[in-house]
Amino acid sequence: MSLPEAADECVEPNGTAREPYATLLSAVLNAPGELPRIRRGAEERFAARGVTFGVPEDGAAPIFPFDPLPRIIGASEWRSLHRALSQRAMALDLFVSDCYGAQRALRHGVVPGRLVYSSTGYLRDIVGIRPPRATWCHVAGIDVVRVMGTFCVLEDNVRVPSGVAYALEARRAMEELVPEWFTTNAVRRIDDYTKRLHRILQRIAPRPWEASIVLLTPGPYNAAYYEHRLLAEEMGATLVEGRELIVSEDEVYRRDADGAIQRVDVIYSRVNSDWLDPLVFRSESMLGAPGVIEAWRRGNVAIANAPGTGVADDKAIYPYVPAMIRYYLGEEPLIDNVPTYDLGDGRQRDHVIAHLEQMVFKPVDASGGYGIHFGRLASALERAELVAMVEAAPRQWLAQEEVALSRALCLRSDGALEPRAVDLRPFVLHDEQPWISPGGLTRVAANPETLVVNSSQGGGSKDTWVLSR
Amino acid sequence: MGTESLTYAVSHRTTLRYTESVGLSFNEVRMRPRDRGSQRTLAFSLLSTPAAVPRSRVDYFGNFVHRVDVTTPHDVLEFAVESVVEHSEPRRRRLPEWSPGVLANDPRLEYALPSPRVPIAERTDSLWRRWNGDDRSFDAVLATAHRIPTELRYLAGATTVESSIADLLDGGAGVCQDFTHLFLAMLRGAGWPARYVSGYLGPTGEATVIEGQSHAWTEVCGADGRWVGIDPTHGQFTGPHHLRLAVGRDYGDVAPHRGLFYGTSAGAAPEVSVRVTRLSHQQVKSVQRSAAVHWQQQQQQQWQVR
Repeated sequence: MSLPEAADECVEPNGTAREPYATLLSAVLNAPGELPRIRRGAEERFAARGVTFGVPEDGAAPIFPFDPLPRIIGASEWRSLHRALSQRAMALDLFVSDCYGAQRALRHGVVPGRLVYSSTGYLRDIVGIRPPRATWCHVAGIDVVRVMGTFCVLEDNVRVPSGVAYALEARRAMEELVPEWFTTNAVRRIDDYTKRLHRILQRIAPRPWEASIVLLTPGPYNAAYYEHRLLAEEMGATLVEGRELIVSEDEVYRRDADGAIQRVDVIYSRVNSDWLDPLVFRSESMLGAPGVIEAWRRGNVAIANAPGTGVADDKAIYPYVPAMIRYYLGEEPLIDNVPTYDLGDGRQRDHVIAHLEQMVFKPVDASGGYGIHFGRLASALERAELVAMVEAAPRQWLAQEEVALSRALCLRSDGALEPRAVDLRPFVLHDEQPWISPGGLTRVAANPETLVVNSSQGGGSKDTWVLSR
Repeated sequence: MGTESLTYAVSHRTTLRYTESVGLSFNEVRMRPRDRGSQRTLAFSLLSTPAAVPRSRVDYFGNFVHRVDVTTPHDVLEFAVESVVEHSEPRRRRLPEWSPGVLANDPRLEYALPSPRVPIAERTDSLWRRWNGDDRSFDAVLATAHRIPTELRYLAGATTVESSIADLLDGGAGVCQDFTHLFLAMLRGAGWPARYVSGYLGPTGEATVIEGQSHAWTEVCGADGRWVGIDPTHGQFTGPHHLRLAVGRDYGDVAPHRGLFYGTSAGAAPEVSVRVTRLSHQQVKSVQRSAAVHWQQQQQQQWQVR
């Protein structure tokens, strides 16, 4: 059996397996029935445990599509990625802190004020607040892709990044189904993620010695509800919806099932921060609790991620992250952006319009891969519409050069292997120093043609291995 | 300051009537006058019925906000604000123009950008061009302010508090809030940072009392960082009878009352009455120049009596 060369993530140009994959691929090629068996086993396990992504339709939510062949990152490659993402996460945190403080980077022209002041993620009501331990982005999910052999960042998720539960579940399924792979390959463990997250939440609590932690979820209709349940369960936190929270005298409480009132010290919020407090942000919000922001302002409750981190998550601000790294840390960025253009800048906009067929257009405030346009795929009429769309609302769109994502081998339903585009979302936990769970969530495109890997677009995932040597 | 100051007593009542009893309501009130060089608040009190202990903070724009949580069941909620404000003639100055490079890195850029109620659109930009050509100088700013009330009609009831700039231009009539939003859009389109001011209009000339609504106007910022008040409803600079309450990007930032209640009642449109009286020297002397925190003691007394 030969390997498709296009699967550059796993295969060298000469057709042999890349070094980290050598052991695994020879095992897989020697036992052709193994991969389909693992996939069946994993899917049964996910169905039984309710590992779903998406909103229930006709009763059951779809299980997370799973590819049985792991994605492998070598030890030295991970070390450099780890350094690069730590650097990036620190700069993003300093940027959020600066936006709600002195706004030095804006005065010095590092990040254009026009983008911050017009960002829906910039929450004016929290300017001047210092959160506990001066940390804002406790959890970040930084999406990286490999282009021509080098990792670069596709986007930064610092509001409510999701996906870690799928990485944890995928690993558990693999360990159960093919334990021998973990003895023949030196795979780093990822099962301490929830413990580390719990420790961070405890440390930001106003009363760390008896911190009562809740995980605030938008509810079962949120696509990542399974993850909210799993994380709450493993951390011993209470899963709550906004209507169960009560704010009284600037303290936050929750109502028990039997009606008792319990004080809340830490909210691990999986609700976007502009939905947290209907009194301050959106008065139509039923997801949060009125008064929460005032309680937070007074230091009576800790919230992770801190409200307001959306300003660093705004895709229009992403092009300026390398400049932030140079400005706040005085270092050269260790990982690049995908070439990206700020459409609010006339010269950059002209360049984009002149090279339309090389560009991908993303709405700045959407996620999940919705609303993306590829210039290459557009007809002449659609290109004219793209230009009109960008010129009418340049602040609403971001243009990135279309890049060829690396491809990993994936199992087709007929049992053959084929290359599909992948990305990687490592999860960064940020206390005093960033810590990154070895690996992350590898997302796979739904078919060999597409470059969109979002789970909301029918893509799947793989177990992600980081080798310890 | 040199100019003689005038003193006004403001009585500002807001009544919310619910169709059914409300068990719990959270309210944010922006009704304490906001002082500046020429304006000083001598006395202020805020009483709510049912009674509650308000807590105050200063918001992003520097306005006073009182949080009033009413925990007793009520079908009518009333806020009664009494304040005494001393105001002298604000200086009428010419503002230096901004160079775009300087404004780009200045925090006041925020007020030259579109905001939720003030989108910068081709329509308002072309209106500016039609009136002023390519002139973006301070003279054009004043000319625009002067022209707005001649081109558009002031008509109470022509618009609502939710109306947009397009509604004003389509209908050709509106109130101070609409005129202010339109003027802001035109100013920002021409590169001037400009903000929304909510406040009161005191009596002028022989009259000593004026009854009615609150008022709104604009402040424009020059390259020297100074803000100057211009009232597009009257087409001129603001005077000593313009008493400021709060400032923001547009009405959404300064709404005097924002609230949230639990219950099945339909939302109530507030009934607002404002009375501004110019005090004589005799009356001014009798105003106790108490600290502005006086309201809190009053509230607590009322709380205890109940």
